[in-house]
Amino acid sequence: MGRYVIRRLLQFIPTVLGTMFLLHYITSLAIQFSGNPVRAMFGDRTPSPAQLQALTERLGYGDPCLSRKGDPCLWRVAADGNGWLGTSLEPGLFFDRLGNIFFRFDFGINLRQREVTDLVADAIPFTLKLLVIAIIFEAVVGIAAGVLAGLRGGSFLDYMVKISTVFIISVPIFVLGVVVREFVGVKFGNVLRGQDWVPDLISAGIFTPGFKADYPFASLIIPGMVLGAVSLATTARLTRTSIMENIRADYVRTAKAKGLTNKRVIGVHTLRNSLIPVITFLGVDIGAAMAGAVVTETIFNVPGIGRLVTFSARSGESSVVVGVVTMLVLVVLIANLLVDLLYAVLDPRIRYE
Amino acid sequence: MRGKFLKVAVAATATAMLATACGGSSDNDNDDAGSTGGTLRVYNAEPAFLTPSGGDDEPSLYVIRSLFRGLVKYNAQTSAVEMDLAESVESDDQKLWTIKIKSGYTFDNGEPVNADAFIRSWNFAAYSPNTQNNGYFMKRIAGIKDVQSTDPDGDGPQKAPEPKAKELSGLKKVDDLTFTVELEAPFSGFPTTIGYPGFFPMAEACIADIAACNEKPIGNGPYKMDGSWQHNVAINVVRSDTWKGEPGKPDRIEYKIFADVDAGYAAFQAGELDVMYTVPPARYKEAKATYGDRMYEQPGDSFTYVGMPLYQDNFKDKRIRQALSLSIDRQSIIDAVFDGRFTPATGFVAPTFEGARTDVCKYCTKDVEKAKQLLAEAGGWPAGEKLVLWANAGAGHEGWLQAVGDQIKDALGIDYELKVNLQFAEYLETADQKKFTGGFRLGWGPDYPFMETFLYPLYGTGSGSNNSTYSNPAFDAAMKEGDSADSIQAAIPSYQKAEDLIGEDLPVIPMWFNKVGAIYSENVDQFVWNAVSDADYAATSLK
Repeated sequence: MGRYVIRRLLQFIPTVLGTMFLLHYITSLAIQFSGNPVRAMFGDRTPSPAQLQALTERLGYGDPCLSRKGDPCLWRVAADGNGWLGTSLEPGLFFDRLGNIFFRFDFGINLRQREVTDLVADAIPFTLKLLVIAIIFEAVVGIAAGVLAGLRGGSFLDYMVKISTVFIISVPIFVLGVVVREFVGVKFGNVLRGQDWVPDLISAGIFTPGFKADYPFASLIIPGMVLGAVSLATTARLTRTSIMENIRADYVRTAKAKGLTNKRVIGVHTLRNSLIPVITFLGVDIGAAMAGAVVTETIFNVPGIGRLVTFSARSGESSVVVGVVTMLVLVVLIANLLVDLLYAVLDPRIRYE
Repeated sequence: MRGKFLKVAVAATATAMLATACGGSSDNDNDDAGSTGGTLRVYNAEPAFLTPSGGDDEPSLYVIRSLFRGLVKYNAQTSAVEMDLAESVESDDQKLWTIKIKSGYTFDNGEPVNADAFIRSWNFAAYSPNTQNNGYFMKRIAGIKDVQSTDPDGDGPQKAPEPKAKELSGLKKVDDLTFTVELEAPFSGFPTTIGYPGFFPMAEACIADIAACNEKPIGNGPYKMDGSWQHNVAINVVRSDTWKGEPGKPDRIEYKIFADVDAGYAAFQAGELDVMYTVPPARYKEAKATYGDRMYEQPGDSFTYVGMPLYQDNFKDKRIRQALSLSIDRQSIIDAVFDGRFTPATGFVAPTFEGARTDVCKYCTKDVEKAKQLLAEAGGWPAGEKLVLWANAGAGHEGWLQAVGDQIKDALGIDYELKVNLQFAEYLETADQKKFTGGFRLGWGPDYPFMETFLYPLYGTGSGSNNSTYSNPAFDAAMKEGDSADSIQAAIPSYQKAEDLIGEDLPVIPMWFNKVGAIYSENVDQFVWNAVSDADYAATSLK
């Protein structure tokens, strides 16, 4: 088990470095091909060269490789002509970035001169809450619906689950988000807010069109449910198929024949084995939920990581994009590792050496 | 195994319930504050900076204007300059200005607002290593070149050298409440410029730790910070007891921060906001129908034009530019593409400005016959060449630019081609390097309420934002005459003379000025919009 974990952790290194290089190259290409984002900050007002230059240097866009189209910014010509390993080259922008991030924990600053680490620290609690709500919602409701449908295949309930999940899967999340915001948050919420007997926590907290600082948890429930909705449908379908398959398995028949109670047969023998693919899906889904958060957070005005990435990408803030996405990659890698370890807990046949 | 699994599930549920309970209990405390009626909740985007020297974007300015006050303010209706913290702003030659400050004003931390407070703030903004956005506005003060420096070889990565001086030589303290400002050249509009937040004072403690001051600014205005800036969430300000001037009307202003204007509009519909200073373009018609008299509409001052690259041979003859302008029906484009959200431009100065006239441009209403005639006189458009129209990508300019192209094609038979693939940064660099091959879309917003701001920066010889490279000695002379006129009013005729020259030469084809559309809720008793500084929250009263 220990050796397996160490091997997996070592595999993280090339994955993270590879992602970082891709991110670095893509954001550098964006600057090389679409111009210095610092110039865009001034808009129609042409800045004095002194001002533009001082700000470009300060914000870390001053490296000359950023004006050479296609340059991966890996090496630069050493100032004194004596570079690395006897050449005239020395490590360039990419290695500066790696060094800053891994040795000095310095992720750089955004265009407004705020530290990326501060930005992330501000944003992460909101995204975490949102993800927890989404995952709980999709796991609890999804598995429950899947189990009910799976046990009574062909029943009315089964068809209802099948039809409603197809419906949810076929609606893109940005459509679902806007529709929920307009009809649940604004229209239905306004009706509730007009009634005196509805407590404020519900009318102004839960049924609100977006995140509210006054209701830091309640106002995230609906955005979280929207974020979890698409995966909920997949979870329900996966559970349903898995249960249907396992219910006919030999060991379930044996358990029944032994005279175990129905509760124990379903709850322990069937369910636990049926959950393996579902857990895999939920683990991988943390990554997908992060991607979904980019959309949901923008629609529901949640000041989290997703919204941060969206707006940083729009304004070409490469340090923020590289920093935050690297962190997200780590989150996804760790989540996947945990899921793999969880298999062993669920299925005694799986051993890691 | 079963036990473990269930325990985890139970623990997770319990945590979730606990978290919900926590959220619930803290919510109730906040509700009472909301119902007192003294809290104005306003829409805002995330500001860039909250210090006067740094903030130059709309969301920053809205917050800075409640926390800080400057030497002068603007009349809400007429946009005329009125004294605020200044006792007087005077000059004999429009070059050396003497500013006297009223006594008794202090910052929130007790520091006095005196001559030093202003000199300190302006010097800080101007010094280029401080990289303050509003350093731009100090450009007229004598000694500006010595406090800014450029990298000698211009290609990095080594740092630009230290500027020659740390302070502007044009700023001199006379006594505690008096200082003089020497400009590089006479400028009669100087008093109008110093109402811009870039010229507001800053406390010594603020400059000593600018990062902390940006999170919790030390202001000198009618409101002070309540807590720190909650990034991307909210900024709350409350009435300041150190403010000696006319108090603000609401007890408290809550700036709710939205990243997306549509999310803000949904919050407004749900009754969570009292004022939105802007309306999402796609919802404009709907908002007007829904909120009716609670929608405030007024001509704005942001100018959109199609610039003419005078450095290209095809555009050198002014009759060609006139013909192009004459073939565009601006109102029809505004109605078709923008739901009537703009006012067609017939001049080069925003209609809200003192001295603006409506008939400066004689070539700004559609007249196909005249256009054809002018084009023929100029020798026609080179056969086989397309008229290229440029705009930056992803900002929704394609639609109207295509309409412009179609109208020109219909009127003059000139085929056109859109070039709308450059991102804003690269587009602006193309403008700076004068590489446009045809008409280019750009805009302009005024820096201060004085006609000059719409003229010299765009059309003055060698001026920073003169992207068409227009150069006309007569225009420059008329501008100079206005700059050294005895007063703001006396300067207007000279500037109008300069504007007439532009109206004839058309270095840019004026398109339209925006319309301001703000909405406010039923809680608002009186909504005040300042012609210069936009929504005035301190003057807006609640029911």
